[in-house]
Amino acid sequence: MAINETLQQELVKDLLLESHEGLDRFDRELLALEQGQTGPDSMNNIFRVIHTLKGTAGCLGLGHIEHTAHVGEDLLSLLRDGKLHSTPEMITTLLALSDALRGMLRTLEATGTDGTSDHSALLAKLVQLQVAPAIAAAPAPVEKPVFGLFDDDEPVVAVLAVAPEVAGAVVMTAPASVQASSDAPTPTTLHAAPPVSASASVEVAGKSSVADNAIRVDISQLDKVMNLVGELVLARNQIVANTTQFDQAALMTAAQRLNIITTELQESVMKTRMQPIGNVWGKFPRIVRDVSHELNKKVRLVMAGQTTELDRTIIEAIKDPLTHIVRNSIDHGIESPAKRLSVGKAEEGLLSLRAYHEGGQVNIEIMDDGGGINLDRVKAKAVAQHLITAEQSARLTEREALNLIFLPGLSTADKITNVSGRGVGMDVVKTNIEKIGGSIDLQSQPGQGTTLKIKIPLTLAIIPALIVTSGGDRYAIPQVSLLELVRLEGTQARKGIEQLYGAAVYRLRGHLLPLAYLNQQFKVKAGVPKNAAQAMDDVINIIVLQADGRPFGLVVDEINDTEEIVVKPLGKQLKGISSFAGATIMGDGRVALILDVVGLAQHANVVTETRDRPVIDTKARAQSDADQRQTLLLFSVGKDRRMAIPLALAARLEEFPVSRVERTGATEVVQYRGQILPLIRVADHVAGRVTPDEPSDILQVVVYAEQGRSYGLVVSQINDIVNESVTIKRASASQGILGSAVVQDRVTDLLDVPGLVRAAEAHASLAA
Amino acid sequence: MSKKIITVDDAATMRKMVAFTLKGAGHEVFEAGDGVEALTVLRQRPVDLVLTDVNMPNMDGLELTRQLRALPAFARTPIILLTTESDPAKKMLGRAAGATGWIVKPFSQEQLLAIVAKVLPA
Repeated sequence: MAINETLQQELVKDLLLESHEGLDRFDRELLALEQGQTGPDSMNNIFRVIHTLKGTAGCLGLGHIEHTAHVGEDLLSLLRDGKLHSTPEMITTLLALSDALRGMLRTLEATGTDGTSDHSALLAKLVQLQVAPAIAAAPAPVEKPVFGLFDDDEPVVAVLAVAPEVAGAVVMTAPASVQASSDAPTPTTLHAAPPVSASASVEVAGKSSVADNAIRVDISQLDKVMNLVGELVLARNQIVANTTQFDQAALMTAAQRLNIITTELQESVMKTRMQPIGNVWGKFPRIVRDVSHELNKKVRLVMAGQTTELDRTIIEAIKDPLTHIVRNSIDHGIESPAKRLSVGKAEEGLLSLRAYHEGGQVNIEIMDDGGGINLDRVKAKAVAQHLITAEQSARLTEREALNLIFLPGLSTADKITNVSGRGVGMDVVKTNIEKIGGSIDLQSQPGQGTTLKIKIPLTLAIIPALIVTSGGDRYAIPQVSLLELVRLEGTQARKGIEQLYGAAVYRLRGHLLPLAYLNQQFKVKAGVPKNAAQAMDDVINIIVLQADGRPFGLVVDEINDTEEIVVKPLGKQLKGISSFAGATIMGDGRVALILDVVGLAQHANVVTETRDRPVIDTKARAQSDADQRQTLLLFSVGKDRRMAIPLALAARLEEFPVSRVERTGATEVVQYRGQILPLIRVADHVAGRVTPDEPSDILQVVVYAEQGRSYGLVVSQINDIVNESVTIKRASASQGILGSAVVQDRVTDLLDVPGLVRAAEAHASLAA
Repeated sequence: MSKKIITVDDAATMRKMVAFTLKGAGHEVFEAGDGVEALTVLRQRPVDLVLTDVNMPNMDGLELTRQLRALPAFARTPIILLTTESDPAKKMLGRAAGATGWIVKPFSQEQLLAIVAKVLPA
């Protein structure tokens, strides 16, 4: 009976997965060993990887892998048994071994055989390193018995009858000392009778296994499921959009359940595709070691947040950019040990990676404590390579000069090293990150180091988007790039927009906001106004968007709604247009194009123009140092209390007529987007006295969402959105309040929203 | 006659291969990823034969053998160690732990079936 071909292929696939993971672990443990960070079991873990690979490969007839692993195993077993002590040379050789094995696995994956690649130098080295007393003189496996029973003590001649093919191997050594040694504590008879109870107690027939709590699923299978869920979301949107026209309770209920179930299904499927970012980072210790050795630098790598999860496709997409950044940091950032000592730093450079979730996105920070970026040199290079003119260079702000790093073709490396500086630069990194809807931000302190901050979405497949209309067509704008919406009416609309240097701008809270008109960009006619107010042309909707870290305003005819949209790729005719990121199908079955905010901004010249001509307004420049600034939503509670929350916490601002408020138990609720939204009257739950204000027919509500649940915070009035650097003047331990600060010259309480929600829930459950 | 056999190995590929071979010979096969897992299963569900890898995380094959031998239901159950080491000293450890026999990895399907046939009475 031979293993049939399908099974062999399947086993090889398993072996590939298992071994790649194993070799990654092998590298990690070896590096830890080199750093002196070893647990009691690390040497054995290292050993086991190669040992397992050897065993499995052997059984699958992959002789080349088996042999290579075997030679490595001999060295490793000496190390494990303490007969040898590891040296840097040994570790380098063992790392080379894992590379060689990976190479063979790749060959195996591509061709189905483990190849014939020549690793004789490596093998010789591995043997040479076994200079211990117990030189296990390359064991000749053929001369050893393959199996046996302790009672027979050594080879079993009887087997010959059963497996004649094995005979050759077994017969050679047959010392035939057949007595059972007395030290065996529980001598077992050859014909051990099976326990009587055995068959009775087994009820579950067949192949149940505890090892199979987790299963491996083919990525393409998951992609398919994800795609289907995407279609389901679209169908759900259509059904939910259409059921409202029928006045049928049963249909409505069914649509609502479909709505909820689809959302949950979508979330669960998303979760199955999540992988910890550590999967990418796992390779970094090795890269850091190799690169720093090559450059004779000393670098310590610190990683935090390895368990932060991201969609698989995103993990794939950031792998190369991150690797490039890490290499760059060591090559360009961290100085040589001598240089570091001379400027009073520790000899060993620090490279730290941090990942964490924030506001539905993942932030990744790559920080080094190296020499920072020499702006003058960057500018000089950019001028020398004719990327900018000398005149432009003189006018660049610090931030703009830093961003030159991302220009295609710019390389500041004085000499081209093997590691970086080969023309494939930060521009590629940036493009790749923007391609997946992320952004990258660079901060550098000369002499202190450089920090790169990357923001990426959790997933690409289904995203929240704002739907707008321009020229009668609908477009979707990914909500990640959305800053705020501005609506100008009457005089504001007629006078608010100014022309500067031939470009339309709007003065938004003292900063000039460059504007682009969506209909002009796409050369479509402005929409036919729907009502009289618009016919007077005195309503202007500006969507404030962020592209390249700079805000700009996009003027559209109408702002419709926010919606979860399923991203579909564009057809090939539209693919080349940088202003579009994709397409989606709306609830009514029609297609809407998804705008690529960065591409659109470049097309409209609102970003590049400002880059070329940085000095528009000194105030606009003040924004660049606004890293500590926060965007706050200001509102009042009662007649006299002013409060604020970070704008990021507010999912939406809504108005509900009081008549729509219903009650469940002790809680006030409203029906909102097919869900039940509990209302929390801020005045009732914050510490301190609140003078009640006049009852109003309309409730002002800030919708706040956490862990998939939404709450409506009822406030008296929404006042403003400000972007200010706020220092909490008086920290507070009072319920629902983080502290107070002065905002716009008035004392304002900063609300502790999660705390407030907890307090309100506790209150509701007590009352109920 | 069909027997119940458990294969204990941290390498899934290895388990799969052993399972395939033994199922092909008409046996019923269970799997476990390490000694701890195997003990959990075996406490509730005795088998006719245990095939275990030696070097595994959490609990290795030798410790598993010792613990099984302490259970009355496993006092006489054959236990075969799957090992990559044919070093006699290592083998003695297996004997001391109470194992019935050993087979060196890599082995062929025929070799595996041969030793299984040897310890399992028809």
